[in-house]
Amino acid sequence: MTQHKTLIIGYGSPIRGDDAIGPLAADALAAGPLPAGVNVISRHILTAELVEDIVAADRVIFLDATVEGEPGEVRVRSLAPDASAMSTMAHFLDPRELLAWSQALYQHEPEAYLVSAAGAFFEYSNYTLTPAAAAALEPMIERVRELIAAN
Amino acid sequence: MSRTITIEPVTRIEGHARITLQLGDQGEVEDARFHLTQFRGFEKFCEGRPYREMPALTARTCGICPVSHVLASNKACDHLLSVTIPPTAEKLRRIMNLAQITQSHALSFFHLSSPDLLLGWDSDPATRNIFGVMRQDPALAKDGIRLRQIGQMIIEILAGKKIHPTWVVPGGVAEALTQEKREAILKLLPEGLEIAKRTYGFFKTLVPKFKDETSHFGTRPTMFMSLVTPKGNLEHYDGFLRIKDAQGRIVEDMVPTVDYQRLVGEAVEDFSYMKFPYYKPMGYPKGVYRVGPLARLNNAEACGTPYADVALAEFHMLQEYGPITSSFHYHYARLVEIIFAIEMMERLLKDPDILDHRVRARARSNRDEGIGVSEAPRGTLMHHYRIDDDGLITWVNLIIATGHNNLAMNQAIRQVADAYVDGNHLQEGMLNRVEAVIRCYDPCLSCASHAFGQMPLVIELKDAAGQVVDRLTRG
Repeated sequence: MTQHKTLIIGYGSPIRGDDAIGPLAADALAAGPLPAGVNVISRHILTAELVEDIVAADRVIFLDATVEGEPGEVRVRSLAPDASAMSTMAHFLDPRELLAWSQALYQHEPEAYLVSAAGAFFEYSNYTLTPAAAAALEPMIERVRELIAAN
Repeated sequence: MSRTITIEPVTRIEGHARITLQLGDQGEVEDARFHLTQFRGFEKFCEGRPYREMPALTARTCGICPVSHVLASNKACDHLLSVTIPPTAEKLRRIMNLAQITQSHALSFFHLSSPDLLLGWDSDPATRNIFGVMRQDPALAKDGIRLRQIGQMIIEILAGKKIHPTWVVPGGVAEALTQEKREAILKLLPEGLEIAKRTYGFFKTLVPKFKDETSHFGTRPTMFMSLVTPKGNLEHYDGFLRIKDAQGRIVEDMVPTVDYQRLVGEAVEDFSYMKFPYYKPMGYPKGVYRVGPLARLNNAEACGTPYADVALAEFHMLQEYGPITSSFHYHYARLVEIIFAIEMMERLLKDPDILDHRVRARARSNRDEGIGVSEAPRGTLMHHYRIDDDGLITWVNLIIATGHNNLAMNQAIRQVADAYVDGNHLQEGMLNRVEAVIRCYDPCLSCASHAFGQMPLVIELKDAAGQVVDRLTRG
């Protein structure tokens, strides 16, 4: 059986409180044992060169914080390429736009998911997660492991 | 009836911005202003932190140019330590800076500006974007992604895959370069240089098509400020400050960076959170100057690498004499600098001392004030700190590349608006040109405000009573 290549991208600002949960979850995943074929990246923001990494993956899992939902709530949803999700400030991108880049330029459309955790506090100069967001880290990681194990 | 056109925010630049065009009774432009509408107060919330945290803290100002802040901040910390860092550490820092410049310039040219350049200012805004470029010239779009990736890979080879690099430290760098890493970076450079040369060659063929924009995009006289080497050549990491006037005369030269306050004053206006730096001897607002790729090339006698020097000579031929005045040529200057950056990285990596293991000078703080200046992709970046006896920050001043260009950007908007905007027959292409002149400077408003976030574009026409008479939204 051909091994799936999974790319995990955690993104968010490390100085905006709960916004850091994406990269923190990614770092925790990278530190632990991972199946072969899983690559983990932590970023402040999503930028264009990540398309090259996406093109090399069969499955991409984005990890991000959200303001939607009760603080600490973890959600998983599948993502599809969407050029209309284009950011008006293209120094950084939406995950669906990155997928659209991959589709438009390389005709490659990996299976894609967004695993998000609702945060409660996003002000600048805050370096720790709120208790609700901190409690969401482990469930977030668990959802990612389930997605990886699904195939 | 006096009316105001508001463009909020400017698309395809970082942060929050709004452009307001004040129209007179006949629909002519009476005033033009570039506003930064969000305030983050980075300087203030750094107070009380240990100075050694400043590189990591200020790197988080921006997700696009963290390396620039890491370098300027560590240089300010070097100054606090009163050390001269080991020569190999300086070369390694230079490589990292050049990789950042490559990556950042690639984003500006390929992804932010190419839709206008390839598809035209008046083309359908629904397709005048990176996806339009992908359809028209997929190879160019792929080149842009690959060049960014090469820059990112070099940074990661040097500094690891941390979200923000912590390899540069006060006194030098944390680890010496290994032979394996050197080879890995050298392997990437030929492809990067090929892309850079190919793109430069392509862009040269496009430039003649933009005579109109070239003559209206920010051509009003300004001075130019940048770092230069002791020989007056292109410099991005250290060296001395040089200022040329609009006629190309050197008015300040070989000014030590620690004396920047003699040259640069900072004014504030109530319509923007971005400060307005100006050339102090000329006063505010007369002391307008530009920084960044255009200023660096105008100020440099030479680049010092083979292909970049040929490109620099061609750059100077864009105009009959004097400094290149049109801000449209920031695009050209970026491509020359990418070529230079790749050539110079190769030269530095082939330096016999580049693998030297002495890469860090260790000391405690030996001064209470530190200044670090380097060239970020968008221009001269200044970090200035004061600390107390415990090494805690008591005062911070950051003068960001985009801030230096603030007066010039306002001037350029007015010029473009005068040339293209007819308030009685408002068309999207007119307003796109107003935005496009700002994109020439590739402002990073996250750094300059220091703001963060995004909003859809809103263009509003308001009459003298403040009533919205027309509105356009996109993004």
